[in-house]
Amino acid sequence: MMTDYAIEVQNLTKKFGDFTAVDNLSLNVENNEIFGFLGPNGAGKSTTIRMLCTLAQPTSGSAKVAGYDLIKDSDKVRESIGLVAEKMIMYDRLTAAENLHFFGKLYAIPKQKLEEKIDELLELVNMQEWKHTQISKYSTGMKQRINVIRALLPEPKIIFMDEPTLGLDPQTTFSIREIIRDINQDGVTVILTTHAMTEAEALSDHVAIIDHGKIAALDTPQNLKNMISNNDTTIFTTKIMNLTSKLVEKIKMLDLVTAVSQQDDYNLKISAQGSDALNRIIDTVRYEGGNIASIINSNESTLEDVFLTVTGKEMRDQANKKSSPIQHRHGEAPTSRVR
Amino acid sequence: MDIFKILKDSYHVMHKDMLEFSRNRMSLGALILMPLLFLVMFGFIYPSGNMQQNMPMGVVNLDHGQESSEFIAQLGAINSNTHLMKFTNFSSVDDAMANMKTGKSYGAFIIPPDFSNNLTQGKSASFIAYIDNSNPQSSMQIQQVLSRTVSGMNEMKAESNVLEVSKASNQTVNPQAMVLPYVLNVQTTIPGKTNYFNFLAPGLMIMIVMMSVMTGIPEAISKEKELGTFDGMLSAPINQISVILGKTAALCTRGFIQCIMILGIAMLLFGVTFQGSILLAFFMLLLGIFSFIGLGILAISMSGDQASGTMIMNLLMFPMMFLGGIFYPIQQMPWFMQDISKVIPLTYAADAMRKIMLLNAGIGDVITQILILVVFGIVTMAIAVPLFRRSMTR
Repeated sequence: MMTDYAIEVQNLTKKFGDFTAVDNLSLNVENNEIFGFLGPNGAGKSTTIRMLCTLAQPTSGSAKVAGYDLIKDSDKVRESIGLVAEKMIMYDRLTAAENLHFFGKLYAIPKQKLEEKIDELLELVNMQEWKHTQISKYSTGMKQRINVIRALLPEPKIIFMDEPTLGLDPQTTFSIREIIRDINQDGVTVILTTHAMTEAEALSDHVAIIDHGKIAALDTPQNLKNMISNNDTTIFTTKIMNLTSKLVEKIKMLDLVTAVSQQDDYNLKISAQGSDALNRIIDTVRYEGGNIASIINSNESTLEDVFLTVTGKEMRDQANKKSSPIQHRHGEAPTSRVR
Repeated sequence: MDIFKILKDSYHVMHKDMLEFSRNRMSLGALILMPLLFLVMFGFIYPSGNMQQNMPMGVVNLDHGQESSEFIAQLGAINSNTHLMKFTNFSSVDDAMANMKTGKSYGAFIIPPDFSNNLTQGKSASFIAYIDNSNPQSSMQIQQVLSRTVSGMNEMKAESNVLEVSKASNQTVNPQAMVLPYVLNVQTTIPGKTNYFNFLAPGLMIMIVMMSVMTGIPEAISKEKELGTFDGMLSAPINQISVILGKTAALCTRGFIQCIMILGIAMLLFGVTFQGSILLAFFMLLLGIFSFIGLGILAISMSGDQASGTMIMNLLMFPMMFLGGIFYPIQQMPWFMQDISKVIPLTYAADAMRKIMLLNAGIGDVITQILILVVFGIVTMAIAVPLFRRSMTR
């Protein structure tokens, strides 16, 4: 069954008690594209993916995955998709071959074909010599490579990847990205959620920025970046030698500033609108006794800047790793997220 | 989704679970140790019907007549066959009581001063036995031994009296028939000597299967949920029932291995004899499993994580273990406890298993129990499976 879109989502909603994780979400994913989902933790990315993989029942709304209705034809949907979840789907006490055999059989792949496919995929990730080693002896990077090829086993039309490169070393990250490009070349539609902005920017044909269960922006990475340039928003990176939280607060109070994020003890990233933004910021900092070492106008905006402008805050999990508090201007983060 | 595919997928899940389990040395060890430990432990700590031997008893003879010395000599003679008691002489009641209070003896015979006198005057001679009943188990045993010994001595005395009377009146009588006109001849359902293991082994087999299913299902499913591997199975085109079936089958295989071990140990070490049909016994085990699956699924559907699932299961399992008639016959419980036992499915499973194994009961003899278990299994599963399906796609 051929349709124009790999995935069509209409008014999809998921509630956990009072908390709305996904709020009336509608979007289309084209065939054979890499579609990036960006958003802070708890924004609803994983819940959306779980619903599209038939692992969670939508509260309301509908969706078609690979042309099949999510609820009526859930078996057909499951036959058409592969899942690389955030938690690795494999059994530590089994070998790579045993893991792949088990899942292959669940997809009713014929024995001979399954053998060939397993060898082919192990070759793809350079892990042939580990075929008969228990997963528990693997490094995280090796595990993730097996985790990715496990999803490729049934030759899905659509593959969902939830944070496929989280916590991996640069080499493995690079090779996973290569695999993503390769399978996309072979005609597989890839749905990717990631925290790595550069990854989304480099891989995705379209990016949806999702926050509070809603789409905050959806376009190609280039258009998104253009959007904020046209939007008269400028990103400044400034180094202030005696940075205090009071000073950050003052900058945040300026009406032309749309978002402030503290990078470390000295550096601030400020998005601001208007032509005299630079002067206003410098004046304010000086007035408050701040000692500016440098201030740079980043002309080339990145997806991260778009993200900041759209969601008004630094990604929450990244900010959590730092000691400095995050600053936000638009709305409060939900105080509790109950699942 | 056809039934054939469901069964095939169940087999794959079972095979995977067994493979995983066989790689885990700790669980393999526990699998073997558990039935061994249970059988040996419960077999030895519960009263086995064997009398304790050489129970220490004090003897105080306040009488100086010939009859009392004769009495004590006879007591010693009877005891020399059984060695149930061990006598120590004390000169005063106080000494004997003091010894009893320190726990060195279980009781004391006190022969009052007028003992010989009463006998020679043709009256009954009473004597006192003090028993330390701070330990109900040994006090009961000593009472049994005492009454048996005293009635034995009475018989002997009576027989010799009858003999004397018959000689005096020149009548030939059989003194034994005079004294004991009624003779009881006990025949048992199970040939040969039986012990507590005969009672314990069938119940224990059922209980171990029940425990492995009831704790195993919530544990196996919540473990995979927490690891994330469950999503891998559920995002594959398989029926959720296959996951439950496969996991149950894996647990059953483990339970069966344990049952065979219990049977082997009970037969080899403890002399239990298997009277009934082994096929029917295994059918009963399967039925037991079937009736408990629903409860296991219910526990995992109601609780999100492994810890609370296990807690719910323990809450259900412990009363079942002790009220299900595994260790104590339920007939020995007070009526209100018996009523509770009657709503526990384990009671019926254990009862039927015992009848099949020990009494060679056929299906017809245990049809009530079978029906109760089938109904219980169907009702709990009818509640549990929809709940489980819903909880899976929460």
